[in-house]
Amino acid sequence: MIHVSMKVNGKAVSADVDPRTLLVQFLRENLRLTGTHVGCDTSQCGACVVHVDGRAIKSCTTLAVSNEGADVLTIEGLASGGILHPMQQAFQDNHALQCGYCTPGMIMSAIDIVHRKGSNLNEHTIREELEGNICRCTGYHNIVKAVAQGARAMAAPSGAKAAE
Amino acid sequence: MSATGIGASVKRKEDHRFITGKGHYTDDINRPGQAYAYFIRSPHAHATINKIDVSAALKAPGVVAIYTGDDIAQDKVGGLICGWMIHSKDGSPMKAGAHPALAQGKVRYVGDHVAVVIADTYAEAKDGAEKVVVDYGVLPAAADPAGAAKSGAPQVHDVAPNNTVYNWHLGDKASTDAAFGAAKHVTRLDIVNNRLIPNAMEPRAAVGEYDSGMDAFTLYTTSQNPHVARLVLAAFIGIAPEHKLRVIAPDVGGGFGSKIFIYAEETVSLWAAKKVGRAVKWTAERTEAFLSDAHGRDHVTHAELALDASGKITGLRVHTIANLGAYLSTFSSAVPTYLYGPLLSGQYAIPAIYCEVDAVYTNTAPVDAYRGAGRPEATFVVERLVEVAARETGRDPAEFRRANFVTSFPHQTPVVFAYDAGDYAASLDKALALADYKGVGQRKAASAAKGKLRGVGLSAYIEACGLAPSAVVGSIGAGVGQWESAEVRVNPTGSVEVLTGSHSHGQGHETTFAQLVSDRLGIPIENVSVVHGDTDKVQFGMGTYGSRSGAVGMAAISKALDKIEAKAKKVATYVLEAAEGDIEFKDGKFIVKGTDKAIDFGSIALQAYVAHKFNGQ
Repeated sequence: MIHVSMKVNGKAVSADVDPRTLLVQFLRENLRLTGTHVGCDTSQCGACVVHVDGRAIKSCTTLAVSNEGADVLTIEGLASGGILHPMQQAFQDNHALQCGYCTPGMIMSAIDIVHRKGSNLNEHTIREELEGNICRCTGYHNIVKAVAQGARAMAAPSGAKAAE
Repeated sequence: MSATGIGASVKRKEDHRFITGKGHYTDDINRPGQAYAYFIRSPHAHATINKIDVSAALKAPGVVAIYTGDDIAQDKVGGLICGWMIHSKDGSPMKAGAHPALAQGKVRYVGDHVAVVIADTYAEAKDGAEKVVVDYGVLPAAADPAGAAKSGAPQVHDVAPNNTVYNWHLGDKASTDAAFGAAKHVTRLDIVNNRLIPNAMEPRAAVGEYDSGMDAFTLYTTSQNPHVARLVLAAFIGIAPEHKLRVIAPDVGGGFGSKIFIYAEETVSLWAAKKVGRAVKWTAERTEAFLSDAHGRDHVTHAELALDASGKITGLRVHTIANLGAYLSTFSSAVPTYLYGPLLSGQYAIPAIYCEVDAVYTNTAPVDAYRGAGRPEATFVVERLVEVAARETGRDPAEFRRANFVTSFPHQTPVVFAYDAGDYAASLDKALALADYKGVGQRKAASAAKGKLRGVGLSAYIEACGLAPSAVVGSIGAGVGQWESAEVRVNPTGSVEVLTGSHSHGQGHETTFAQLVSDRLGIPIENVSVVHGDTDKVQFGMGTYGSRSGAVGMAAISKALDKIEAKAKKVATYVLEAAEGDIEFKDGKFIVKGTDKAIDFGSIALQAYVAHKFNGQ
């Protein structure tokens, strides 16, 4: 067993874990934050995307202990005080989900795209940037629309506050 | 119509939990003290199991138990079943090879379940599995469906000589042969419809639990039809009778057919929970999904189309070899037969059709219903034939289709179905206009000038979906009914719960079904909950597949709403002191015709519960 501690959704957490524990297992099994999903185990599908120190990573392909001391944000940490993050709202507004399994990873990736590419995203950029997230219900068209709307909303004064 | 009724653009009720990470998928469920299962799978397509040595593995850290096919047999756990009986053309029943949940004596495909290791953690179960030594006697494998029935091919099941499950046929051979005898042109095609893997985003998972105090089991599972899972686990596999078995399918992350079936893993997890006295959890890795989720399609077909001099289709002859894999999965036998043959007329008036299907075993993963299940396979055959026939005879593929469309209805095809209505030419016209079909030549030339290729493809599709209760379903071999259950509960304050046997795995039933209630009762969808996926809550159901939940599931809800409305009207007669015939229900209000006397639905609900106005009646 090895001791690991980090900040998850603003809260300090720590546990003694098997050294081979993946970050996604730590989140799902130790912290019971089951919003982050595992779809492929091989960093292809993107259902497990979370933010580590402000950058999107696939949590199925990094060890929990590699993220010692990190600041981790999961889908559960996005909404605050009952107010949805603008990207979450955009997914709801645009019917950008069906079974919902890929959705947490999609939303976390989408926010990361805005962080890296700005809020004025064209369709081509969004499609290219979502390469690492798979939706098997094949709802990409609405996902692309949602990401564009969410990006614009994040730039608006109220959206920027929620996106912090 | 209410503001949130059918046709209104509403936001999905289920989305909030999914966009906030609060969904409840099977792998999100954890039970106190649970152990984890890992399945040892065959690395060989075909082999005898000579010996399984578990002694070292049993000593591995965290390992609780290891079970093999012998343990399953000893406990008299029944095998997995195929619930649709197909008879061969000679009248003999299909040859169903035994399908034990853990292999007994022999493995028949790569991924076949050899043993299960149960341990305190998943990692320990997996580590323990590495210490299990299985001595296999590798046998030659039958992998090619086209060669499986030929003499000399390795035999998958002793009960099925020549690897043949059945030789099925549909249609009239004599009249079809006659049509070909008189044909001016015959188009012949060999078509392969390749096998594929369904790959829902959410891998299959199961948590089995046994309550010794109640002598009752609970299974959480990734299922499109939890009631059918309970029925099969109770009546055929025999783990527990239905009243001692609760099956819960919580949020399901896509299915595409693959989560209809009752598999080895959930069976073993449930059975093992009692053996080890702990909840047992199993979640597939993606590799396991590739190996052992039921696959789709896998047809090898020779098809022929007969034309007269004017380009009218006069006959269709199809011979398909359908690969069902190493074992018959739950509904596999129906897919290349009754979900396939009856669709072979497509949108065309074809006077004579004859279809033969030879279903074969091979040493490959089982094949069952996947997206459309049989029907897309039929369309592929028909549309490829029509396209090639048009080209061979120098006709425009669009006009060739149009000339052969069914134009008068009702139309009885030679393959079971009667079409009641349709306007295929109108759909074609619309498609051609949208695609600027007339301008294709020009665009093709423009592309060619730039050194590029441009093509055009057409397909006309007819679907049979919304499988519903009928004498026909029974007569063609279905082991289950195809009805759907619905229960509408009105609470004292007028909010409504709909209990349905349909089960969403992404279709949005919680919204669509609530819209139906909203529409009928004039209450907002926020006041409606849809309850599904739990055999203890919902009386029974057939589940969701084949585009049936809207057509059949909602029809059942609509019937239940008729009863609610009739009962509410009766209550209104007492409350409003009016004759039943004088009361009309409109926009959520019961009104005495021609007066301003009215009462809303919620108030009627409360009156129904307090029963002050009509006690004893």
